[in-house]
Amino acid sequence: MINLVHNELIKLVRKKRLYIILAIVAVLVALFTYAQMKEVKSLQERLGTTDWRSQLQQDIVNTQNRLNSSTIPDDLRKYFLIRISEQEYYLEHDVDPSAPGAPTFMRMFVENSIDLLMPLMVVVVVGDLVSSELSGGTIKMLLTRPVKRWRILMSKFLTMILSVSFIVLSLALLSYLISGAVFGYSGWTMPILTGFSTNGNVLVTTNVHLIYQWQYLLMELGLAWFVGIIVGSITLMLSVLIRSTAAVTGVMLATLISGPILANMVSSWESAKYLFMVNLRITDYISGGAPPIQGMTLGFSMIILTIWGIAALLVAFITFTRRDVY
Amino acid sequence: MKLNSVKIITFLSLVATVMWVVGLSFTINDQFFNNPPPPVEKSATISTDTTQTKDVFIVAIGDSLTRGTGDSTGKGYVQYMLNDLKSKTKQNVNLSNLAISGYTSQQLINQLKQTEMQRQIRQSDIVVMTIGANDLFQGGTTLTNFKQSNIDALEKTYLSNLKEIYGTIRKINPQTTVYHIGLYNPFIELSDAKTTSNAVRKWNFDTADLAATFEKFVFVPTFDLFQLNVNNYLAGDKFHPNSMGYQLVGDRVASLINFEKENEKNE
Repeated sequence: MINLVHNELIKLVRKKRLYIILAIVAVLVALFTYAQMKEVKSLQERLGTTDWRSQLQQDIVNTQNRLNSSTIPDDLRKYFLIRISEQEYYLEHDVDPSAPGAPTFMRMFVENSIDLLMPLMVVVVVGDLVSSELSGGTIKMLLTRPVKRWRILMSKFLTMILSVSFIVLSLALLSYLISGAVFGYSGWTMPILTGFSTNGNVLVTTNVHLIYQWQYLLMELGLAWFVGIIVGSITLMLSVLIRSTAAVTGVMLATLISGPILANMVSSWESAKYLFMVNLRITDYISGGAPPIQGMTLGFSMIILTIWGIAALLVAFITFTRRDVY
Repeated sequence: MKLNSVKIITFLSLVATVMWVVGLSFTINDQFFNNPPPPVEKSATISTDTTQTKDVFIVAIGDSLTRGTGDSTGKGYVQYMLNDLKSKTKQNVNLSNLAISGYTSQQLINQLKQTEMQRQIRQSDIVVMTIGANDLFQGGTTLTNFKQSNIDALEKTYLSNLKEIYGTIRKINPQTTVYHIGLYNPFIELSDAKTTSNAVRKWNFDTADLAATFEKFVFVPTFDLFQLNVNNYLAGDKFHPNSMGYQLVGDRVASLINFEKENEKNE
């Protein structure tokens, strides 16, 4: 099995897709760092202060003013109320949720890339694991070896897990290294509040506790990895089912992009919460954001994602072991 | 060479896998099997900024008038006042506008309980505020169905709320100068102008009366500014001032603020 996985990894590295991903991430992180720096500067100029408390309070007041507008939709109102109580909680406990520093940037980067950017990279790498062999015909070489078919697919599955780990690692490392050049490399031990939960539009703070930023980051990266594995499994299934790599990538792209759009629109279509792409932003639960659809929790989303992942793998393995190859 | 990079990537991926699995299990442990969490301790270092001593720090609180609703340029009297002040002095003038549209005196009391509100007021040299328009007009319904007994009751609650607001501000910051900007009558050109104006005048008078019982509380009248040609100074909603109206109010407040005194106070 180890040899099989090694074989797969050699193929993966030869294809240079991992390097392309590293380059994409590096460019994007540099862009985001620059944008973030600009924003911090312009905010300071507008408010005439560098004090985060004044900035946060101004944010609260602005939101409260928006709440008074009668045209604001109900779910947005709920979201604002939750955000305000969260921000007030930060002020009361004198914790700056966005103290500058590379770890903070990294945290925001992970939170914002978990539902689209990171899964896209996974799709780019995983999309052709099987389909390229089907379309290129090399699958016959592989299947003539005295190895059971499920072991071959298993080696591809393990390769998928390894490459997801690698992608998450490169996201983390690159965002830390590049943004640190601007924001400084410290901030690992900054306290962060977690454990917010929502009940209707009330923020429940009974479980709120402080943890260090490095612990928080480890948690978020773990969740990002989890999401990556699920997306990878579904992509692997499509890769088995569809011969054309471009089609696999296209289908996955469309599905992933539909996630954020759906999450914006479906607050009234409740059963949309069973779709995997609506459940990808699981880091929001630990940072205290409002769920896209009422009733969704971290546990719920993880169970839904796990079910999708397992179902996809089942389909992939059954199809792969029974299919006629010619 | 190729094999080497395969080895490195494999190794890194393996290490990363272990790390992320640890992170994931840590998350599950932290979020689901959380032992009763240690209560979040209020951090002991509630900072007392001393950076503001040389600059003049103005805090604006209250309702939509302070927010600037109706001004098409989005400035409001606060910004016009600030511009005037900046041309008057070389000192740095900083402003924090914490007003929220639609606030009544009762809501302001609640807002003043927030830690950050108190911290900013504590640092302030000047507080400018408007409050009461929503208590009295309630979006226009009070004065269109005019009932004296009704207004008396509203005013009574308002005055007792206002007393609490004044007291709270004074308690938080014994030094700061407070400018309370009074009401004008936006309905002065409608029928019933006499009764509505009477109600607003009485309201203003009682507010000024209350302000006089506190030291360094200045009541700033605006009734006269909007008495003639009120429609030139009102925004499309015929209730809030437009930019010209706000300019008038801003100029008036700015003319009352004297920096010599602020300097003495700080030294």
